[in-house]
Amino acid sequence: MNTHSSPSTVDRRTFLRVTAATAVAGTAGCLGQGSSNENVVLDEPDAHERTVEADVPWPIYGDRIPEATVPAPLLERSVTTTAFTGERHTLFTFIFTRCPGACPGLMASLRHVQDDSISNEYADEVAFMPITFDPEYDTPDILGEYEERHGVDRELDNWYTLRPESPERATEVVEETFGCMFESTEDAESDSEGEMMDMEFMHTTLLILANKDGYVERAYSGDVPPPSTVVEDARTVVEGW
Amino acid sequence: MRRRDLLAGAAALGASGVGAAYATGYIDPLGLAATVEPIELETIDAPGSQAGTLSVPERGNVTVLEFFATWCGVCAEQMEPMGAVYDDIGQHPDVQFLSVTNEPVGRTVTRSDVATWWIDHDGRWSVALDNDLALTEALDASGVPYTYVLDDSNAIRYAGRGYKSVDELLEPIERAVDGV
Repeated sequence: MNTHSSPSTVDRRTFLRVTAATAVAGTAGCLGQGSSNENVVLDEPDAHERTVEADVPWPIYGDRIPEATVPAPLLERSVTTTAFTGERHTLFTFIFTRCPGACPGLMASLRHVQDDSISNEYADEVAFMPITFDPEYDTPDILGEYEERHGVDRELDNWYTLRPESPERATEVVEETFGCMFESTEDAESDSEGEMMDMEFMHTTLLILANKDGYVERAYSGDVPPPSTVVEDARTVVEGW
Repeated sequence: MRRRDLLAGAAALGASGVGAAYATGYIDPLGLAATVEPIELETIDAPGSQAGTLSVPERGNVTVLEFFATWCGVCAEQMEPMGAVYDDIGQHPDVQFLSVTNEPVGRTVTRSDVATWWIDHDGRWSVALDNDLALTEALDASGVPYTYVLDDSNAIRYAGRGYKSVDELLEPIERAVDGV
């Protein structure tokens, strides 16, 4: 596919803003492609109005990324979710490593983007932040093995696996700050959801792609997004910046 | 809004909802009988597999393929029934039989890692890479393992996510081979 070229970010942005200020509605330049929101590169997602109406608790297209500071135990430091604003595009997802289906799929999408960021030379323009909501089980060792198993490239310095200090803190960060709901299945009614009993948690499937300015370009929820879609959207944001 | 409603709300916005739904079955959005164009895949040097390329699905033949990833535990378990099916019908001249990894291969996960995994799990048929996800996308394989049976016109006759038993695999393959 396209090889990433590196236009001057400032020039490009300035150009965009000037264009936006002078263009009449409906004749927006090639960047933004008719997007009604000047803070984002991608077009509005199909179901956007429905998502707005549904008043979902997680940040959606055009929203700011919420701020929380969470330990990144494999890097022996803490990272703030907005730390890369002004510097990098960011991908967030919310997982627990014992999850059999959705979470590995979400991780796989992040991994595909990480791999693509090497192929197309934008590794230093993106940051990956999977956040566990199961810190009791997901110890630093477990998270390290999980990264290893998924082939995360640690040399690139763009992968930040975050682990809230406690279950209480996980609730604060993942549910209250990011609006990604999760619930232990232990107290779920066993009759109607018997098949979910093999899972430790029910959770919102959520993957967020945010741009350098800290605005959400895509919040993939509901079903696990195809990795190719996430890669394509991430490239579009990087190239359109 | 109650928490349970929020989880349900997430489901309503998407196709199949919360993460748990991923493991409990899936409705194929492509629909059975959709046909797919062949895609050239790189095959790797491993037991039963030669380095080269394969056109998948192969027109004129029934294609049995399974998407997997080396990090995927269920995919490891799936190798045994896949092996039994391969021994039974996979070498039939009218059948193209292969496994395809759709994880990013080439850097942290190398071709040799895939070959090692293949040896460890007694693979003995063609194993290919879908590095640019073209086939995964064409078949809408959301997740691994994901098994497909396509008939000789490349129409999807069977699509199933998650662990499949020998019988579950054989039935649609035999039907496709018999042209039923």
